[in-house]
Amino acid sequence: MTGRWPAIGVSAVLFAALIVLAVIAPEFLSEANLDLKEFGPAAVPPFGADDRGRPLWELAAQGARVVALPSVVAGLVVGLFAAAGGLIRSMDLRWADSAVAAFGEVVGALPRMVVILIVALLLPRDWRGLFPLAATWALLSAPGAMDEAAAVAERLGGARFVEALRAHGYSSWRIFVVHVVAFNLRPVIVRQAAEVTMQVVFLEISLSYLATSNDDPSFTHPDSVRSWADILHLGYRALAFDAPYMHALVLGLGLVALVAGTTIGISRAARAR
Amino acid sequence: MARSSRPDPEASLKRWWVRPLVRTVAALALPVAVPLLLTLLLWALPGDPASIVCPPENCTGTEALAERWNLHRGPMHFFSAWMSNAAGGELGNSWRMQAGVPVSDLVKESIPNTLALIGLAFIPILLGTVLAALDAIHRRLDPILHLMGLFPAVILAVIAAAWKVLTYTEFGGETAALFLGAAVLGIADGAFSGAVTGTRSVSSAERRQRYTGVGVLRGETELSNILPNITPALVGQLRARILHLFSGAVVVEVVLKIDGLGDLLWQAALVQDFGVVLPVATVFACFSAILLLAQALAEGGVAVWIRWSPKGVMERAA
Repeated sequence: MTGRWPAIGVSAVLFAALIVLAVIAPEFLSEANLDLKEFGPAAVPPFGADDRGRPLWELAAQGARVVALPSVVAGLVVGLFAAAGGLIRSMDLRWADSAVAAFGEVVGALPRMVVILIVALLLPRDWRGLFPLAATWALLSAPGAMDEAAAVAERLGGARFVEALRAHGYSSWRIFVVHVVAFNLRPVIVRQAAEVTMQVVFLEISLSYLATSNDDPSFTHPDSVRSWADILHLGYRALAFDAPYMHALVLGLGLVALVAGTTIGISRAARAR
Repeated sequence: MARSSRPDPEASLKRWWVRPLVRTVAALALPVAVPLLLTLLLWALPGDPASIVCPPENCTGTEALAERWNLHRGPMHFFSAWMSNAAGGELGNSWRMQAGVPVSDLVKESIPNTLALIGLAFIPILLGTVLAALDAIHRRLDPILHLMGLFPAVILAVIAAAWKVLTYTEFGGETAALFLGAAVLGIADGAFSGAVTGTRSVSSAERRQRYTGVGVLRGETELSNILPNITPALVGQLRARILHLFSGAVVVEVVLKIDGLGDLLWQAALVQDFGVVLPVATVFACFSAILLLAQALAEGGVAVWIRWSPKGVMERAA
């Protein structure tokens, strides 16, 4: 069990921090304080202020709210697909295996970001948000996750492993859900789900940053809401133009590290036996 | 009684041509399938296509716009007209982004920059693949590689963009952006680390096979024995990595202000310019088709190569 509980502990704390941020996020940002001369954490605790004098924690919390639910749902969807991929191989359903392989070839034929931008273009304005894009990303990631889970099931023995357990008199639930999915496919399912969760967060940051840097509206959230990309853009101004927002860069990178740390922690916790 | 999950080795040996053939067919279909799918999607959404592309609150005279954009006679008419023009190199005009400007001109200006970016970014990935196949990268470096791979493209691109601004006078603009972008693409999102670990996992599994040991005992090198078996998998990995580079290029081109296809797609998507998005997506589909064809050729070539050697052995034995 070496390393399992520390990994669970760290990932649980980081994930809880993300969820708490999302829950306490204010619906609207505070009024701008244009008289503010100092923007650092000392002047506006705990993280400092943005270029309009608004506390950065509010931007961080709103950004967490934008990403929390869609990214977790996308991760869960991919986890379910991965479990299905492993079960299909274990049950030796060759037609389904071939269908998954064909689906993977079709879905994987175009660069993902191109597909995401096409979906963003075609979505009616009322439907715009991170959810449809996260769902698309999950769908694009699903064949890879299914393929990896199927490979693990294959190494396990595939249908012969199932037959061996049947010979012991185990029920289908115990064979497929407990032994195949929970005991053997768990590491790959959890890692794939955690990675897609992280990728959706990074996708949101990317899309919002591209929009923010060009003063365009984001595909992922309403104009009244700020995201982590706004914090990173302040950080960019600190790096490139010596603007007094280095605290924003530190916070932005910290939030990215929070998500990456959660993913690594969850993956390690699932892998450790 | 469940069937065995292992495929019949003899049948798979005889059907070596199936995968390359499927990839070739997919490659030929892709440049047509992508614009067709996009056209059908535009019509499948609620509301008429002209209103989706330009909502009535922003554009007046939707019917006139539909006629101007050739959307008024249904999806198949639009698609067939667009495809016949595209086959002659005419990709239509921009609808909203740079209204009236021929898209083929925009695409022609963008392709060299994107290809240069992808080509430069591919160098470290290819290097990592070759070194990992030769087992020349020590496993102790894996934690560093994993850490490098954790950075998303947008974060590294932001840092690169700041560096570009700070050193603009010393290094120049466009060339520096291209090299910085390539470095970002080559490292971010696990591009380099994935190339190393992915190749190593394939090659080390093959090195452990008994036939490799037998080959070494015969005085042959490990690499010459495993290469025919790992080449199809490595080619597949490289295709996926190049597609990944194309995906990341959208972010890198916009952040570093490189006039490439990704930047063009982004600008067009922002203003819902279907007249630009459709041809740019088709160009991406063409690149993907070329990669699929290359993979099919490599797979077919390796299969033929493998089948030639035993024939010689059989003849000598006879």
